[in-house]
Amino acid sequence: MNTFSNIKELVSALYREQKLLTEMFKKRKSASYKYEYALDLVDNDDNRIQYLLNRSVIRQNGNNLEIDDQFLQFFEQVLEANEEINTSYINDNLEKVTQNIAYYFNEPNEQRKYEYLRIIKNTLRKLGTITLRNVVDLKRNIDNTFKNEPTYKNKRAKLIHLDNKRKDITKLIAQTEKLITEDELTFFNTATDEELSRIIVQLKMQLGKCTHNLIEIERQIIDFLNQIQYQSSVIEKLRLIKYLKDQFILETTTDLKEILATNDSVIFEPKPAYPLKLSLEYLQADEEAFASILKIAKRVKAGINLKRPVAEKISSEYLETQIEEEIQINLEEVKNGFVASSYNLFDFLMNYNFAKEVSFEDRVTIYCQLISQYENIFEITEQFEEKKEIEFAMVYPK
Amino acid sequence: MEVPVQTAEIFKILSKGQFINSNSSNKAVADLYKVIEEESNFENLYDYFRNINFTLEKGDEYYYFSRAENKVDLETKLDAAFRWIDIIDFLKTYDNSFSSGYRFTPSDILVRIKTDAELETKLEGLKKHTDKDKHQDILDKILKKLIDDTFIELENEITHQYKVLASFKYLEQLILTINIPDEVRNEIPE
Repeated sequence: MNTFSNIKELVSALYREQKLLTEMFKKRKSASYKYEYALDLVDNDDNRIQYLLNRSVIRQNGNNLEIDDQFLQFFEQVLEANEEINTSYINDNLEKVTQNIAYYFNEPNEQRKYEYLRIIKNTLRKLGTITLRNVVDLKRNIDNTFKNEPTYKNKRAKLIHLDNKRKDITKLIAQTEKLITEDELTFFNTATDEELSRIIVQLKMQLGKCTHNLIEIERQIIDFLNQIQYQSSVIEKLRLIKYLKDQFILETTTDLKEILATNDSVIFEPKPAYPLKLSLEYLQADEEAFASILKIAKRVKAGINLKRPVAEKISSEYLETQIEEEIQINLEEVKNGFVASSYNLFDFLMNYNFAKEVSFEDRVTIYCQLISQYENIFEITEQFEEKKEIEFAMVYPK
Repeated sequence: MEVPVQTAEIFKILSKGQFINSNSSNKAVADLYKVIEEESNFENLYDYFRNINFTLEKGDEYYYFSRAENKVDLETKLDAAFRWIDIIDFLKTYDNSFSSGYRFTPSDILVRIKTDAELETKLEGLKKHTDKDKHQDILDKILKKLIDDTFIELENEITHQYKVLASFKYLEQLILTINIPDEVRNEIPE
């Protein structure tokens, strides 16, 4: 198997196959990346794939290709996309610091002492960054697991596993803090180096940040685990109850009846309707109400035929003709009779034989009526006579 | 006693046996939840509704009414409880995490039914609560009932997406409170 002989070769190889590697990195979660797809991305040049295979950048598994684990981890770590939380890495670095501090004290040569100091500084700087990144990864992983893991048991197991990681990181942070503040106090006091103290301050700040984040993560994990616990207890209980219900023994074997008897929630009640009457005042005064009334009135007219009230039959009694006779005095006829006679009007009237009985008073009235009506054809004299206490003018035909 | 101005709206919802949920996507309802949530408001409203024999009950992120002189007989309650058990069982079979905050569309469920015989059987078991025959009709009827009782709501009319409300925990709580004696529990097969 060939290896890259120098960085330049490695970087240029990666650069040349950037398309393929980008695509494969994106699809790293799905296990199979077909050889044919890869060929498309390297201009169908089989040699280029073979070159990568030979240098273990990618591996072939049957007809599938995948990025070698070493490179995959490298990409993930550099791009901060890694899913694995690697606490051992922190631990390694921690040990490295301790070892190098020991070497530093044993070494009499200043030049070499400085070498060790440089390593220590580098490692400390790395330690802070790694720890912080691990914490960030942990948080993201917990979120992802809770939201995306479909199997309940696995979700729970994974969260517990991540919680253990959290404990590990907390422990390592405590160790690191102990290292720089207690264990190697001599070193940090003797090796006075400005850069070192700056790195220590930086490291302490990063560790403080990590601790705060870890406390929040712990709270979140507990919350998630509780939710899972709650959900799975609901599901477990539901399964039992459903079974009992399907066996028709739920009421008799459990305390369901008692529970429901004491449950007074309104939700069990049928939906209430409040048949309240409208306020009359509102109906009379409100414009909108009037519009509604008109609308409904129209609909009522269209839909319903009002029955007209039919009157009762008219009784036949009302239909019988009843005759009432009244005798009218024909003034014209009386006048004609008078003109033909030689009497004065008053005496003529007194003796006139009417068709009915006419009283004295009525005859006087007729007298007056005749005079007023036929004034022109009568001769009204200035002579007066008196009869039955009535004084009257003597009237003759002309 | 100073009650909030929204008291009439609160009463209107709660007296229908519905819930006021904190996670309702209907802003008006979510606002009502916030109003009740204020401590002084809650106490005042509690006393106020006490006077007309309603008890304002606080659940986990939801409020509802109960009242002592409940006219409903035990049998009606049992019917409701049985119906809920069937419905929740169906929904939890569809997705274990079907609970407050969960989002789904009826078409998702219908698609799953085609490939999941257990789910299909359970949906058909719900026929007796709905008087419908077609899968979609049964599901629609069930969802409508849940909406009427404010356990879920139609969040997006365009995509037909539903959201499970906090009051769903009321049903879960109801299930959890049922006590199964150990000797019965032992007889149930795994």
